[in-house]
Amino acid sequence: MASPATAAGRTPTTNCSHCSTSPAARRSSPPTSGCTSVVATDCEQQYLRPLRPGDEITYDSVIESVSERKTTRLGTGHFVTTRTDVRAGGTLAGTHRFRILKYAPARSGGGTGRGTRPRPVVNRDNAGFWEGVRRHTLLIQRCTGCGTLRHPWLPGCNACGGPDWDTVEASGEGTVHSYVVVHHPPFPAFDPPYAVALVELAEGVRMIGNVMGVPYGKVRVGLPVRLEFRSYDEELVLPVWSARGSRQPVPGEPAEPPGVPENALPPLEIPVTRTLIVAGALASRDYQDVHHDPEPARRRGSPDIFMNILTTNGLVGRYVTDRLGPTAVLREVAIRLGAPCHPGDTLVLTGTVESVDGDAATVRVIGTNRVGRHVTGTVTVTAPGEEPS
Amino acid sequence: MSARGRDPLSGRTAVAGIGATEFSKDSGRSELRLAVEAVRAALDDAGLTPGDVDGLVTFTMDTSPEITVAQACGMGELSFFSRVHYGGGAACATVLQAALAVAAGVADVVVCYRAFNERSGRRFGAGVQHREPSAEGVALGWALPFGLLTPASWVAMAARRYLHRYGLTPEAFGHVAVAGRRYAAANPAAYFHGRPITLADHAASRWIVEPLRLLDCCQETDGGQALVVTSVERARDLRHPPAVVAAAAQGAGRGQEQMTSFYRDELGGLPEAGVVARRLWRASGLRPADVDVGILYDHFTPFVLMQLEEYGFCGRGEAPDFVAEGRLPLNTHGGQLGEAYLHGMNGIAEGVRQVRGTSVNQVPGASRVLVTAGTGVPTSGLVLTADG
Repeated sequence: MASPATAAGRTPTTNCSHCSTSPAARRSSPPTSGCTSVVATDCEQQYLRPLRPGDEITYDSVIESVSERKTTRLGTGHFVTTRTDVRAGGTLAGTHRFRILKYAPARSGGGTGRGTRPRPVVNRDNAGFWEGVRRHTLLIQRCTGCGTLRHPWLPGCNACGGPDWDTVEASGEGTVHSYVVVHHPPFPAFDPPYAVALVELAEGVRMIGNVMGVPYGKVRVGLPVRLEFRSYDEELVLPVWSARGSRQPVPGEPAEPPGVPENALPPLEIPVTRTLIVAGALASRDYQDVHHDPEPARRRGSPDIFMNILTTNGLVGRYVTDRLGPTAVLREVAIRLGAPCHPGDTLVLTGTVESVDGDAATVRVIGTNRVGRHVTGTVTVTAPGEEPS
Repeated sequence: MSARGRDPLSGRTAVAGIGATEFSKDSGRSELRLAVEAVRAALDDAGLTPGDVDGLVTFTMDTSPEITVAQACGMGELSFFSRVHYGGGAACATVLQAALAVAAGVADVVVCYRAFNERSGRRFGAGVQHREPSAEGVALGWALPFGLLTPASWVAMAARRYLHRYGLTPEAFGHVAVAGRRYAAANPAAYFHGRPITLADHAASRWIVEPLRLLDCCQETDGGQALVVTSVERARDLRHPPAVVAAAAQGAGRGQEQMTSFYRDELGGLPEAGVVARRLWRASGLRPADVDVGILYDHFTPFVLMQLEEYGFCGRGEAPDFVAEGRLPLNTHGGQLGEAYLHGMNGIAEGVRQVRGTSVNQVPGASRVLVTAGTGVPTSGLVLTADG
């Protein structure tokens, strides 16, 4: 959001304009006493019109909700949701919904180090498969006795009992044979709901994998998919399956809008430096000590300072506008934070165009660091821009 | 039994005693203590003493060794002890093991038991994120990195295929849940005693892993259940009428995996249950139409439907209507959906009660009961009949 020309709204009552509840919130929710720590979890912004020199800006904030007491990985506390409406000359120019967790830290502290995907289980019988995946080849075992292809990898053929085998490289074409959508329980490395498919390869064997390029609700039996490889962290490469654009209608399934071919945006790697974290916090007027001073950060269970949500929000917006070109205009950014970003991390942003409606496009953005998923979000842009440049 | 003579095991042994702890969400005591309490209760029910026992059978997953249960129950020497693998698929196979031992003269009185703090301790529903690189670990490891981490997620893959194959919606699973909870509502031992549900409740319950909703998934339970197996002759002299083991069988299909049999021909069925079904019908000389009560393992509702089809109660894809029409009394204790999740062992106890005529939801004149074990894994089944 552009800097306000004048701020006629209520002045923040504590040293952080984003990460603290107002006195009213504290009055309405006595149990937050003892909740000494705060972390922002969600940020949703809508940009209805740009701010221009001379605009008189007013804003007002309301507390939309205070949750029941919840126990999270960080600790026990309350989610507080506020909404700020920003007006320019009396006309709504933007909205800003913010959710924070005010909590008493869990004794175990920050909960870092979790959040990575479960590793493949590798031994001598299947090491060749995972070595292939690291080289971005998908290998299918073939019995040299009877020629039968097989997956999962085993040291013998179920068709003829033959012990000898070689491999063939999969063509990468497949269809969804079955699928599920996981909602519960939440695992730190995943972001429910998410789809997991059983893919039948063109060669006839089946493998489990995630389907990319379509929302989880659009995965269907019979959906044609194509192999890709994706790095999740320094150690983990997995085969993933991208929905193909030219899908055939599947008998018995409701008709789906055509998929968007080649809808994945190139990734963006952002080195998370101490300077980025501190400068981002100050630029977004967030003076919480955990974003600039390592000592208080450690006292609150974090290994170091961590990036504030509005810096992430800005980076997500920048990623999408960088990738879609100079005419793209941000209309909505909604993000949820997961694993924190600390100095020394590399944040890798990836995006998938989920839908295109007229001149509006919706992009799903995921940002991962070495711990796991830092941010998931949805960005709506319009292009070409309606505003004078 | 008409089958006697044709099958070397049929009609030779009986379940003579059943005993359980309370079914709870937090037992407040050790798994060993639960096992010991259940074993003692089953022996009391049979009118036997710990000193009469010379064999014990449990699950490989059980944490209470046979020798430790024997010590804590006051048993002496054991001449037979055995464990069965594959989770709930072991349930009826513990009775098969016991019956084999008794019929072969290896033991006279064998107690089968299963006890755990599955709700307050290690919850299966919490999922798996790491496995050692054994052959078993590797088999499950094909699913883990992609976020397929829970029993519900593994079953959902087959359930989706079942719906697709027969053009059904997830509401097709609802009748199984409603029937189980209806019986549980009338069973004071059931966790969900007094709490029936409707199809609308089922349809409104939240997704766990699509196409499975909360009410498609059984509960999680702390508790223990034990069964006493001995010869039919000895059982006739004990406290209750024998529940005769007319047939007992195990089965694994071609291309079988544990919960993730995704790579074999068709996901919309349970070939391992088909293996057990063929053996049970052949050994018992019975057909599906002869069965008075079905106790079908119900960790997840879709697998009850597939079992009905594999056992031949109805045609492929017809099980939702079969259940909706109430054509067979099913899981009269309330099942694992309604009574308790005791890895299928509480279902065997209900089969015994039906044959004795002592179930709280007694089917009048019931004398032939089919009991099955965990599915989606190598499984097992029993036909229990009244004596004579």
